[in-house]
Amino acid sequence: MLQRANEAIALLNQRGQIVAVNDPAAAILGLPPGRLIGRPWKAFVNTPVDFSRLHRGAQPEDQATGEKYISARRVTRSHAAPFGRPPHVGAHVGVHVGALSPSQLLSQPIVEWSLTRNILPRRHLVVFRDRGDRTTQAEVALAQQQQQAELFAEVALKIRQSLQLEDILHATVTEVQRILGADRVLIYQVLDDGTGQPISEAVLPQYPKILGMQFPEEVFPTDYQQRYAEGRVVAIANVRDPSAGLAECLVEFVEQFDIKAKLIVPILHHPVLQTPLAGTGASDTAASPRPVALWGLLIAHQCSESRQWQDSELALMQQLADQISIALAQSQLVGNLEDVVALRTTALRQQEEQLRLITNALPVLIGYIDREQCYQFNNQAYEDWLGLSLVSLRGKHLREVWGAESYDRMQLPVQKVLAGEVTTYENEMVGPDGQGRSLNITYIPDFDAAGTVQGFFALTSDISDRKAIERMKDEFISVVSHELRTPLTSMHSALKILSTGRLGVLSQDGQQMLEIADENTERLVRLVNNVLDLQRIESGDVTMEMQQCDAANLIIHAIEAMQPMAQQQGVTLESQPSETPIWADADYILQTLTNLLSNAIKFSTVGQTVTITVEKQGQQTLFQICDQGPGIPEDNLDSIFERFQQVDSSDSRRKGGTGLGLTICREIIEQHGGSIWVESQIGQGSTFAFTVPSSPRSRQEQKSTSLQGKQES
Amino acid sequence: MVYAKNILIIDDEETIQTVVKFGLQLTAGWDMLAASSGPEGIQLAQQHQPDAILLDVMMPDMDGVATFKALQADTNTSMIPVIFLTAKAQAAEKSQLKALGVSGVITKPFNSLDLPEQIAKILHW
Repeated sequence: MLQRANEAIALLNQRGQIVAVNDPAAAILGLPPGRLIGRPWKAFVNTPVDFSRLHRGAQPEDQATGEKYISARRVTRSHAAPFGRPPHVGAHVGVHVGALSPSQLLSQPIVEWSLTRNILPRRHLVVFRDRGDRTTQAEVALAQQQQQAELFAEVALKIRQSLQLEDILHATVTEVQRILGADRVLIYQVLDDGTGQPISEAVLPQYPKILGMQFPEEVFPTDYQQRYAEGRVVAIANVRDPSAGLAECLVEFVEQFDIKAKLIVPILHHPVLQTPLAGTGASDTAASPRPVALWGLLIAHQCSESRQWQDSELALMQQLADQISIALAQSQLVGNLEDVVALRTTALRQQEEQLRLITNALPVLIGYIDREQCYQFNNQAYEDWLGLSLVSLRGKHLREVWGAESYDRMQLPVQKVLAGEVTTYENEMVGPDGQGRSLNITYIPDFDAAGTVQGFFALTSDISDRKAIERMKDEFISVVSHELRTPLTSMHSALKILSTGRLGVLSQDGQQMLEIADENTERLVRLVNNVLDLQRIESGDVTMEMQQCDAANLIIHAIEAMQPMAQQQGVTLESQPSETPIWADADYILQTLTNLLSNAIKFSTVGQTVTITVEKQGQQTLFQICDQGPGIPEDNLDSIFERFQQVDSSDSRRKGGTGLGLTICREIIEQHGGSIWVESQIGQGSTFAFTVPSSPRSRQEQKSTSLQGKQES
Repeated sequence: MVYAKNILIIDDEETIQTVVKFGLQLTAGWDMLAASSGPEGIQLAQQHQPDAILLDVMMPDMDGVATFKALQADTNTSMIPVIFLTAKAQAAEKSQLKALGVSGVITKPFNSLDLPEQIAKILHW
C-alpha cells in the first residue's frame, strides 16, 4: 500500500520511530528504506514532535517543561500552512529543510510534511510533498531562514537584554533546549586548573541534573581544550558508535547521565582590553590584544535516543555560543565598569566623609542658603555657636536664626550675592552664652547651568580675637602716643630754650648739634601726632562732623597756614578759588589740604609755583594741588598712599616727612566717601587730586558706591 | 602790653614744670608757681591767687577735671582762669574739656617759649 501511494509517506510508532516508509519517502529522507526503519522521525526534521505526548493526545505544552512544539501558529505566520488547513491537535505541521547552509539552500529539495496522529492504532502517518520548483524552494528557504533568524534574534535579544551573565546563560540553555528539543542543554565552564563544571542547565525532568557537579581534568584533557579553543565543534549522533571516537571510559562516563547523543560547541572568550583604572598603572594591559581563550562549552544532550544533529542545529549552537562570547565580553566590560564605579564611589564616599569631617571640624560656620534665604545646609559649628540643632536650622529663614538686628546688617550683602556677586562683610552676634562675637562673613553665589543664582554658600569665621587684638593695638598706640607727648613737650621746650642762647652761648658745633636735636624732636612730634591721627581715623574712633562749608574758604585757610613754609622755600602758592560748596568736616579737609600743600612745597625748588584749584563736578567737588617738582615714577603712583611708602626713603629724612601724611589724607577722604589719587610724570611735576561730596545727598550715593568698591576688593 | 603775671602750673611731671617755668620767664618774664598734685595746686591757688592756672588733665589720684571742679567749687579760687594741658589732641576731647567751663585747652607737645603768647591769646590779655 505504501509503495503504491503516489505521495511520499512514512508510518511512525508511538515513540516516533519509523516503522514503514515508501521509496519516495526514503528518497526524500536520503537513506534506503532498510536503514530508515527504527530511526527516530525527529532526527530528520528540525521541528521536534513529542511522540509520547502525541500518544497521550496531550495538548502542546508550555516551555516550562523544557519541551515545546513549534506551534502551528508560528508556521502559519511564517508561511502558509502547507496543506491549506488549519492546524489542529494531532496534525502537526512542519517544514523539513534538508540543510540550512545558505549555499545549499536553493539546491536542496524543499519538502513539506504533515503528520496525522493515530491514523492506525498506535501508528502516525507522515505525508511528504516535495515542493520541487525553485521559486517555492526559495520561498520556503527564505521563510526558514526568517524563522531561524527570528529564533536566533529572540535568543540574542534575551541575551542582550541582560547584563547579568547568569541570566544570559540561563536564557541560552532554556532557549536552545526549547528550539532543538534536546533533552539537556548545559553550559560547562572550563576553569583555570583544567577542571570544570556545568554552570547553567536546562534538562527534562526525567533525566539527571548535572548542574554544579565538578568534573575532573581527565574528563576534559588540555589537548581537547586546545582544540576547542581553536573552534572545534563536535557532533556525536551516537556515543556508542565507534566512529564517534569516544574512549570507552568516556562512553561510560557520559552514559551515567543518560547521554546518547551530544553536540558541543566552544564558547570562546575574547578578553576585553582593560580600561586602565586611575592610579592602577594598568596601561600596559592595553598595549596588545590578549589571545582568545576557551571559556567553556555549550552542550546539547539527547538522552532518549541517539540523534543525528543537523547542520542548522550546529549553526544555531555556534551562533549562540558566539552570542555568549559577546555577552562574556560585555559582562567583563560591565564588571570592569562596575569595578571602576565601585572604586570611584568608594573614593567619592571617602572624599565626602573627609569633607564632612573637615567641614564639621573647622571652626567656621559653613552653610548653604537658598533663594528664599532659608538654610539648606549647616555644618556642626552652627550647633555649637548658635545652640540650635542642625535639624531645627534646616529650612529656617536667616532672620529667624540671626534676629532682626543682625539680619538688618545682612540684607545688603544677601541682595548682592543673590545678584551673583561674591560678598564679604563683618557682623556681630550674641551667642547662647550671652557672649558677643565679631564675625567675618563671605557669601559665594551658587549658579546653576543656566547661570541663575540658586542660592549661596555662607562662610562665617569668628574674628572676635582679631577684633580684640585690634582694639588692644589701637589702645596701645593711643596710650603710647599720649605718653610720648609729655616727655616730648619737655625735650622740645628744653631744646627751644637752649637754642635761644639765653642760658649761655654754645660753640658753632654745639649750636649745630642743638639744631639737629631740635629738628628731629619736631619731626618726632609730627610722627607721634600722625600715628595717633591715623590710628583714630582707621579705628573709626573719629567721626567726621559733616557740614556744608565753602571749599574756597578752606583753601584760603590752608594757604595762610602754609605761607611761611612756602616763603622759606622760595615757592609761590597760587590759587583763585571761587565759592564752592562741599559737605565735609572742615577741620579734616583743612588737614588734608595743608598736608598736600606741605608735600608740594617740600618737593618744589626755589621759584616754582604750587597751584590749588577747586571745581564742582556733578555731585562732587574736585580739589587739585599741582606742583612743578620732580614728579613721581609711574610704579609708585599707587603705593604712594600706603603708610611709610615715600618714593625715596632718603626724601623722607631730607624733607622731614613722617611717611604717614598721604595715608592720613586717604583715610580722611575715604571717610568722606570721596577718592584721592595722583597724576604725575617724571620731570613734569605732580597733581594730587581728591573729591568730596558737594551735598549730603551725593554723600549718600558716594558712600554706597565706595562701600561696594571696598567689598569687591 | 602784658604786665608780669604769676602763673600756677599743676602737673605731676617735674620736667614740664621746669620747661614751663623757663619758657614763661625767658619769653615774658612771668613768675611761676608749681604744684605736683591737685590738692597741692588747690592749696597754692588759695594762698597765692595766681593770674592763671595751667592744669594737667592726666594726673594720678586727683586728676585735672576733679581739681578744676574743686577750684570752681571754692569761692577763693573760682574766679581764677584755668587752662588745661592735655596730651589728647582730638577736637572732640577738647570740646568736652571746654564744656566744663575752662578758659582754654593747650595740647601737648607744646613749645614752652610759645606759652605766654598762647595764654595771653586765650585769656585776652
